Amino acid sequence: MDGIAWAASAMSAAQTRLEIAAQNLANGSTDGFRRSIARGWLRARGVSVESVRDGEQGALRRTGRTLDRAIVGDGAFVLRAAGGSTIETRSGAFTRDRFGTLRDDLGRTLVSTRLARGSYVRGGFLESSNVDAAGEMVNVLEAERSFEAAQKVLTAIDQTAQRASSKMSEFK
Amino acid sequence: MNRALYAAATGMAAQQKNLEIVADNLANSDVAGFKGASETFTDIASRGGTLGTAPAGTHVMFTQGKIERSGGPFDVAIVGPGFFAVADGGGRLAFTRNGEFSRSADGSLRNAQGRRLIGARIPAGAISVNVASGGEVTAQTAAGEKKCGRIRLAEFASPEYLESSGGTLFFETKASGKARFVDPGKRGGPELQFGMLERSNVTIVEAMMQILAAQRAYEANAKGVQAADEMMRIADNLSRD
Repeated sequence: MDGIAWAASAMSAAQTRLEIAAQNLANGSTDGFRRSIARGWLRARGVSVESVRDGEQGALRRTGRTLDRAIVGDGAFVLRAAGGSTIETRSGAFTRDRFGTLRDDLGRTLVSTRLARGSYVRGGFLESSNVDAAGEMVNVLEAERSFEAAQKVLTAIDQTAQRASSKMSEFK
Repeated sequence: MNRALYAAATGMAAQQKNLEIVADNLANSDVAGFKGASETFTDIASRGGTLGTAPAGTHVMFTQGKIERSGGPFDVAIVGPGFFAVADGGGRLAFTRNGEFSRSADGSLRNAQGRRLIGARIPAGAISVNVASGGEVTAQTAAGEKKCGRIRLAEFASPEYLESSGGTLFFETKASGKARFVDPGKRGGPELQFGMLERSNVTIVEAMMQILAAQRAYEANAKGVQAADEMMRIADNLSRD
């Protein structure tokens, strides 16, 4: 594996880091959102980054709406979409339609609430996103700097190779 | 990088939407019967899209506002659920929690926008008016006390689906269900308080705090856009060095 490929993998890793941080930042106001953490690994083919979901509980916020629900502890709301598929979410902003069915803002109906042992639901509260904006800003800057550094390394390797090949031609 | 750029941009748009809603709440915090709203957002990626966030819906908070004594001669406040029904010029009914009425020349009670309260008409020559907690309107005239109608309250199966006019007026929709009229003053139901007004349910301190938080979040997302842009510039330089 040559240096250029290594530096390129570092650049693409930095890009993934930025994507993860930007996704977290964008969802700073999305209730029930759980941030992703970028984990870097050294592999045979260079550096790779994967995103790992952070299961930390978000802060509970009193909203004054009786149909808002927050899960304290492990668990999820199970919703059914119009197509019949079910999904799980931590976002509990529901409205009751005139037939008495609880729906979220995307029109999905609440089927059940999956709760782990010891978890419970609090009415009148929502779970805020667990994104820490300041921490994500640091991640953005780090990603930017590491991208820049990798680009410099790549350029340096490229210039060395260029110089080497021009020296080679002098010896001919 | 474009994914990151796009994600950060949706974050900026979301905070802008947040600011709009909170600013509207704040602007109306002094309007009687005004109900504050809040916006919910959803993670686009969880719906199979790319990265970022999107506004999902606006929720009006129908929590009770503070009841305060007011100086108005025809002010009425609702304690509990329900709405006053007023005639919306076009033959439709509009619903409001704003009980700031005044008497017009034809004897009807009208709100600040000139919409007529359904259910009561004050006779000419009335000296004073009273509204009982059960909604009965009586007027003192030279000839003695005279009944002049009853204010009934409209309730909805799901008030959250009412269409908001932006101010204190709401309109019924298919999703909200039809208005069901109830007499106030029943056990466990809403009641009327005469000479009082319901203040808006917006807390100024909370709204200010939300504005600060939204501004900071907006800036953070703007930094994300800048970083994505800067990285594209760096990548672009690869081919030039």
